[in-house]
Amino acid sequence: MTQFISSFTWKKVTENRLFFPLVALAFILLFDLIFEPGFFTITTREGNLHGSLVDILRNGSIVSLLAIGMTLVIATGGVDLSVGAVMAIAASVAALLMNPYVLAKELPPNLLQLINDPQFTYQPLWVVIPVTLIVAAVCGLWNGLLVAYGRIQPMVATLILMIAGRGIAQLITNGVRIQIFYEPYAYIGQGWIVLPFSLYIVAFVFVIAWMVTRRTAIGLFIESVGINFRSSFFSGINEKRIRLLAYTFCGLCAGIAGLVASSDIKTSDASNIGLTLELDAILAVVIGGTLMAGGRFSLLASIVGAIIIQATTTSMYAFGVPAFALQAIKAVVVILVILLYSEQVRGFVRKIAG
Amino acid sequence: MLLRKIGALVSTNQRFIPLTATAVLAFAAYGAGAYFYSGMREPQVFFNLFRANHYLLISAIGMTFVILTGGIDLSVAGVVALTTVASAALLRGGWSPWAVMLLMLAMGTALGAIMGSFITYLKVQPFIATLAGLWFARGMCFFISDDAIAIDNRIYRILGQTKLLIPGLSNPVTKEGGFISILAVVAFFVLIVAIYIAHYTRFGRTVYAIGGNEGRNEQSARLMGLPANRTKMLVYTLNGFCSALAGITLSIYVSSGHGLYAQTFELDVIASVVMGGTMLTGGSGYVFGTLFGVLIYGVTQTLIQFNGQLSSWWTRIVIGALTLMFIGAQSLLAARKGGRQATKTGALASPATLRNRRVLLVGGGAIVVIVLGVLVSNATRNAAGGSSAETPTALTAACQFKPFRQDQAASLMAGGAIIAYERNGGPNCIDELYAVYPDGRIVGDDGTNRVEKQVTSTGVEKLLSDITEKGWFTDEMYDTWHTPCGQCYGYYLTVYYKGQEKTVKAVDGGTDAPADYWQVVSIINGVIPHFEPAP
Amino acid sequence: MKGISKAFPGVQALENVDFELKTGEIHALIGENGAGKSTLIKVLTGVERPDAGTITLEAKEIQVKSPQHAQRLGISTVYQEINLCPNLTVAENILIGRQPFRFGSIDWKKLNTQAAQFLQRLGINIDVTQTLGSYSVAIQQMVAIARALEIASAKVLILDEPTSSLDTHETEQLFQVMRQLKHEGVGIIFITHFIAQVYEVADRITVLRNGKLVGTYDTAAVPRLELIAKMIGRNLAELDDMVKIKLEGSKHIKGDALLQAKALGLTGAIEPFDLELHAGEVVGLAGLLGSGRTEMAGLLFGIDKPDSGSVTVNGKPVKRYSPLGSIARGVALCPEDRKAEGIVDDLTVRENIVLAMQASRGWLKYLSMQQQYEIADRYIELLKIATPSPDQPVKNLSGGNQQKVILARWLATNPQVLILDEPTRGIDVGAKAEIQKLVLSLAEEGKACVFISSELEEVLRTSHRIVVLRDREKVNEFTGEVDEHTLMQAMAGSES
Repeated sequence: MTQFISSFTWKKVTENRLFFPLVALAFILLFDLIFEPGFFTITTREGNLHGSLVDILRNGSIVSLLAIGMTLVIATGGVDLSVGAVMAIAASVAALLMNPYVLAKELPPNLLQLINDPQFTYQPLWVVIPVTLIVAAVCGLWNGLLVAYGRIQPMVATLILMIAGRGIAQLITNGVRIQIFYEPYAYIGQGWIVLPFSLYIVAFVFVIAWMVTRRTAIGLFIESVGINFRSSFFSGINEKRIRLLAYTFCGLCAGIAGLVASSDIKTSDASNIGLTLELDAILAVVIGGTLMAGGRFSLLASIVGAIIIQATTTSMYAFGVPAFALQAIKAVVVILVILLYSEQVRGFVRKIAG
Repeated sequence: MLLRKIGALVSTNQRFIPLTATAVLAFAAYGAGAYFYSGMREPQVFFNLFRANHYLLISAIGMTFVILTGGIDLSVAGVVALTTVASAALLRGGWSPWAVMLLMLAMGTALGAIMGSFITYLKVQPFIATLAGLWFARGMCFFISDDAIAIDNRIYRILGQTKLLIPGLSNPVTKEGGFISILAVVAFFVLIVAIYIAHYTRFGRTVYAIGGNEGRNEQSARLMGLPANRTKMLVYTLNGFCSALAGITLSIYVSSGHGLYAQTFELDVIASVVMGGTMLTGGSGYVFGTLFGVLIYGVTQTLIQFNGQLSSWWTRIVIGALTLMFIGAQSLLAARKGGRQATKTGALASPATLRNRRVLLVGGGAIVVIVLGVLVSNATRNAAGGSSAETPTALTAACQFKPFRQDQAASLMAGGAIIAYERNGGPNCIDELYAVYPDGRIVGDDGTNRVEKQVTSTGVEKLLSDITEKGWFTDEMYDTWHTPCGQCYGYYLTVYYKGQEKTVKAVDGGTDAPADYWQVVSIINGVIPHFEPAP
Repeated sequence: MKGISKAFPGVQALENVDFELKTGEIHALIGENGAGKSTLIKVLTGVERPDAGTITLEAKEIQVKSPQHAQRLGISTVYQEINLCPNLTVAENILIGRQPFRFGSIDWKKLNTQAAQFLQRLGINIDVTQTLGSYSVAIQQMVAIARALEIASAKVLILDEPTSSLDTHETEQLFQVMRQLKHEGVGIIFITHFIAQVYEVADRITVLRNGKLVGTYDTAAVPRLELIAKMIGRNLAELDDMVKIKLEGSKHIKGDALLQAKALGLTGAIEPFDLELHAGEVVGLAGLLGSGRTEMAGLLFGIDKPDSGSVTVNGKPVKRYSPLGSIARGVALCPEDRKAEGIVDDLTVRENIVLAMQASRGWLKYLSMQQQYEIADRYIELLKIATPSPDQPVKNLSGGNQQKVILARWLATNPQVLILDEPTRGIDVGAKAEIQKLVLSLAEEGKACVFISSELEEVLRTSHRIVVLRDREKVNEFTGEVDEHTLMQAMAGSES
């Protein structure tokens, strides 16, 4: 029986995948603490926690959800650019199911009252949510088929849905931005049980993803396929199915993210929901240490990566940096991160260090 | 006998097939449009395609070079927007227009060079490096200005509005008839220069040599002694130049600059290049084809605008479907060629892959056919309904932002109206101003027509109380504004109730607007009369 | 080239090798895998710098700094993988980088005419305005040669395995071209593993083995058998004295046929062959490089789908050819190229070992960590894999230990039929013996093993039956008494 209980060494800690992202996060939070002492205050209102930290977690939940799905796709050596568009599609489907009158030819006489009624929904929630998620998963399946069976480059294949997806989302709602007044739905994005409800959703999805990848052979196979697809083939792994699974799951996560996002603003905004979020998701995964070429991945690290992005955003807001200047800063962060993780720089650093 | 000759001709010119396919598609679509919509038969419509899409063409030309090397450049949209804002700001500051243009070109080129060096020498993936460039450029826009900046410069105006009359189609005396803009001519000039570079310079040929063959070509090119690194760098630098140039023409065209312009523009550019027959894997494709790709894009937009019933986001779907078809066709052709090489054990271009790709191609084609079928059926339905003769007021530019008729609204309120509601913009570029009076009279005015409707005064009372309940007069209801997107509406709404009067404006596409604002708008939309399209 | 030595981390690729090329000669450079041929060429063409030794060209000492430099010096190479751009036209491929100009832009007409002329020099008449990719591999190779010649007005032309993808007719065309060039004074280095071709076209032969020079000979002076002996490292005189090794063929209990291949073949890879594998026996596959051994293994395991013939395992015909299917049927393949087809380098030793076994269990029946460590520990001990812990990433292990990990992976699937392709390559002598013993003991347990190796001695010592392949065809099967001499004759061909 060897090495079952690993010994604690400093080296082990630094080599852990979570180390670097957590350090980065701590750095950002420290920065905040120094310059904005009120940052860390947590207040309670009606038994719920509020504060800047909580805001970071809450606002970062959407990108966290996307990052979970994106991690698996990137681990197989691919990428999914369509997650933003899938979010929009999911939001449209959900909104339509709750309020289909935008498409109806005959409107009920009490339409105005109906729509404004916070308790009204055309389809009950237990229909809306599964149907939406199924649609989102189908979108992911579509991507997976193109990549795994059509052998089209992932970037190219998912680009298609990225272009067409928003159009499809608007097709579903006939171009109307559907208002959602249904209160229970709004709970998804806006509810609080001590902590924001969306955090629980993230945790739930994370647990499911973790169980699927680490408690079954799927995680091992994903990593194997990403590292060396040919050796995996020789070992009997059906890499086509693995890829299909990864993309479908990514679509599903995007669907959940779409629900959260649209419930947050109580609308299905097909042009804007998830806009540029695919890039944030990819960045989160990269910060979390998963290589874009594929291979070893860590879901938790990707979530930390998403939190880092959100922390940067929120900190910037707290310092009064104008909203869109943030994008420029994000750009610099991306480059820094990529360079830090790139082999050239690492080798360079190693040379200096030793 | 003839068939055999045709077959031989086809096989010797095999590589021109994608290009021909695109050209045929473009003209077929145009022809179909002209068949269904008499308005499209005007030659001016054809020229307007170029008047409206010159910046797309310029940018797509630059992008073609990048994609030919097997790379991609997502930053074009950001550079375009940054160019428009920076130009506008500098012009406002009194700079000479020529100096501004030179500076912008230099800036774009520099940005391209920076990204190019990251990609070539630091081995960052093009996708990520140009993504960072996109964010950076957009961010820089808002360092300069949050709002749109109007351009009011004589040279710019001349460049933008001069009508170059087309000989043979116009009357030089009355200055009427077919015309084209200087900007479109610039775009064509760029096209010709680009074709020359691609086919008659060593640089151009190296570009072709680097791309394609799934990245192996780059290695081969290096082994053959070609300056692969330098060429790669130059390609991104060149694209930066083109993006800046496109931004200049755009800012001339819309006489303003704003960081929010060219949202998702990069996708349009990429789609145009792909539809022009250039493979995303690089190495094959013609710059001339990009012209047709842009044409298809323009024709699709025109068709949808003429249709009038479908919103412009249909463009997205059709473009997406077309792109899918092209990519599918490309993969199929590539796979068939790949199968010719000696098979190594476990080669990927197995018969199964070919079969799968064929399935996808057929599937994608089916989707496109369905989509187009829907479009056409809509078209025929409308033709029967008689709105085919309608020419949308602005089929050229994205709807230009018009200021609200604030004074008119104010005078309506002074004249006894309790609600003044204006909605402008949108896909059909409207400007409707409604006034609701306490006696239930609702009057609407869109500048040319008037509509009237009578509801009960209790209904009006209810309307007002509903609006108030939504928190109209509280601090939760506030102004939000930014320049609207092409199909977005802008709203200007004044309400008077129990001694309080408040105006709140907002625009579609702004997620920062208070959520209840939209509910108020939909309540009002449910009550007011609508303008019928002109018969 | 004199006294060239070159070392890479962990291996001495070349040791004090001398090589001489005369003008107007075709000089063949041969040796088995790992002999050092490609390293020697890389040194000559400037891809690698030698650690020691000198290169003289036309009596002047030179230092080749880069491939471009080599070209400028007149040394041109045509690689096995055609390093051209298939998406460009033939003419462009020949002249790219040196296109003729007219008024500042490329003169296409002149380009096409020049290119056509160059090809005519080689006796090829094709339409140079078509894309390179639309032509067969043979033509592409000719184009590559044309470019190599013209680019450098080459004095030295290196052809690295040019005939691997050519059929007989195309090879003959190539030889004609080579002879013509020889007459014009070009010195050609011809690297190949096809011995027959060496005899057909080469003037002199240099043999390398394990990084050392075995010798340079005039083709006319060395018979084929002797040449092969030198390649594998045996003295011909010794051969006759060697004790004939008896195969255990008649002694062991031959079990039922576990796997039967009938007329199994794949066009371009291997001619249809029949093969039967019985429980309790080791079948050795002997043949030179390129004879089709790996391809045969690939067909048996399901890597490639055959286009003729059939396979039955345990009496049931195989319908779905895939690695997973084979594992399920109890067939395992330990592949030849451990880096590309074997190890998954970022995964740990443990993960690599359990990989195939896990694949056969499917996605859901995950082996618990405890089970995984048990399995890993068991095989680490059994095969004496040198690793500090099972959690070491496999890429940190030495080549030999990596091979053991792969072997462990396949042993863990508990196969009935185990195919081993070069399992002892890169392993030290002691470990080699272990593995041979292991193979024999597996057979005793009732498994059927296929043992592929280029070391004849190994094959002889480990097998009960030997199948000989030559030029992608199964040519012979030996049971009972056989010695290396006979084997080599079979491998080499009819002439001795």
